[in-house]
Amino acid sequence: MNREGQFLKLEQREAYAVELIDVSTYYYGEKRPAITDINLKIPVNTLSLVVGPNGAGKTTLLETILGLLKPRRGRVKVFGHDMAKRAQLVRKMCSYLPQDFMKDSDEPFLVKDVVAMGIASNRDLGRLGEEDWRRVYEALELVGMLEFAERPVGKLSGGQQQRVMLARALVRRPRLLLLDEPFSSLDRESRRSISENLLPDLVESGCTVIMVSHDLTFKPTICDLVVRMESGRIVEVAEA
Amino acid sequence: MISTLLLNSIIAGFIAGSLCGCTGTICGRMRLSTIAFTMAHAALAGSALSLLLGWNYLITGMLFAVFTAIILGPLSDILRISLDTASMTLFSIYNALTFIFLIMSPGPTLSSEKVGGILWGSILAITPTYLIILITISIIYVMVLQIFWGRISSILFDPRLAEAEGVNVKFYTYTLLILAGMIVVFTLKITGGFLVFSLLFIPSATSIQISRSLRGMILTSSIIGGLSSTIGILMSFILNLPVGSCIVIGAATIFAATSIASSIIRSRVIEGEGIEVGS
Ligand SMILES: Nc1ncnc2c1ncn2[C@@H]1O[C@H](COP(=O)(O)OP(=O)(O)OP(=O)(O)O)[C@@H](O)[C@H]1O
Ligand SMILES: [Mg+2]
Repeated sequence: MNREGQFLKLEQREAYAVELIDVSTYYYGEKRPAITDINLKIPVNTLSLVVGPNGAGKTTLLETILGLLKPRRGRVKVFGHDMAKRAQLVRKMCSYLPQDFMKDSDEPFLVKDVVAMGIASNRDLGRLGEEDWRRVYEALELVGMLEFAERPVGKLSGGQQQRVMLARALVRRPRLLLLDEPFSSLDRESRRSISENLLPDLVESGCTVIMVSHDLTFKPTICDLVVRMESGRIVEVAEA
Repeated sequence: MISTLLLNSIIAGFIAGSLCGCTGTICGRMRLSTIAFTMAHAALAGSALSLLLGWNYLITGMLFAVFTAIILGPLSDILRISLDTASMTLFSIYNALTFIFLIMSPGPTLSSEKVGGILWGSILAITPTYLIILITISIIYVMVLQIFWGRISSILFDPRLAEAEGVNVKFYTYTLLILAGMIVVFTLKITGGFLVFSLLFIPSATSIQISRSLRGMILTSSIIGGLSSTIGILMSFILNLPVGSCIVIGAATIFAATSIASSIIRSRVIEGEGIEVGS
């Protein structure tokens, strides 16, 4: 906990949560880049929406920011840190909700354990304490999945699984939250409550959110930037 | 004298079997089964080479196993083939090498006790030193699992997401693989090189039918692995058959019994539900 705390203080002065400078990312063995010459600055404490058709490079962009995909050219900075050097440390302040989150029905993990992994990933040693479990249940309540805490995660519906993964992202109390199509399996009511309440509250409390979506149908109530991508390039950045 | 040997063997067998069951489940979850399989045969080839050169079989076997664990990933990247293809190719090469080393080794080939020990295992190999090393490995293994359980379970659930959260996935994967290699090399002495993989695989396949949680699966596969070894060693002692074969037959029997029992239970549950719906 202490180390996390010190680390956060250091970053307080940074103006940008994410900076991409002339970034191009290739998938292994591909001749063409999946994203090309990306220049993007996301200010701290904002909510940005990344939109574009299938294959535009939205997922690639998120994974490049996190350093899961290494850019062949250019530089990626998160809270001022070069991701080529300090990725593992920076990732501890980030949460990621992947686009494909579905698990097999025989997956031997309970919902509460999956959410608790979000905290365990940041710990050096040892077990989770009472306070940690309180956070886990709080996160589950936030996404309306508290009653499913003891169920195996593979035996939930797609939308329920997506909400569990969102709870795992939230329980980490990230400073940067990357959401890849977070509404793809959710019903209208859940989409509304997340985009009208949860996301604004998060940004209010100091989190920077980058959210990927095909279109603007579910534009959250607060939205600072809209980044439009097409065939691997950013074609428009609009301040909303 | 005989009874001390038998007692030592049973204790060693139980520990080695438990470790194999446990590591088999973990490697299976990490989709590393083929790597573990290849490592087992690397250890076999290494042991055969040690016969030829008169080296310590444990060290040679371990070097082969760990070397395999480390090069497989990069090898499949460089040659641009899948990990499975790379594993299976190496597996074949190791088997070929095993026979070449055995044939070339000094003394009457295939009939000597040493060669038999490597191929189908022997309880004569179980010395007090062996037992102590085995106990040490299991303490290390349990401690690693206990201390790093949060991160390890996160990797077992979804390695890519764990990596996105800042977990050093490579480090933990290799740690677990190297431990698996050590376990394989030690168990090889009891089961023989060709059957050690069965002890990695069968208990974990059985535990999937019994347990719902990962912790439960690890626990049951350890117990089943330990029981299979104990049964096998007793059987081999009484019937004077190769110990490795007896262990695998023991494991397979437990697997068959569990499969039948769980399918009966499942069909009962369905019948029960049917009645409820009907009334
Ligand atoms: N594993 C991969 N190997 C090779 N090329 C890939 C891989 N994944 C994606 N691509 C390519 O990279 C480009 C961008 O893909 P990406 O997944 O980032 O699109 P996306 O905008 O997230 O699409 P969607 O809306 O369907 O999620 C596409 O042209 C795709 O074909
Ligand atoms: Mg995508």
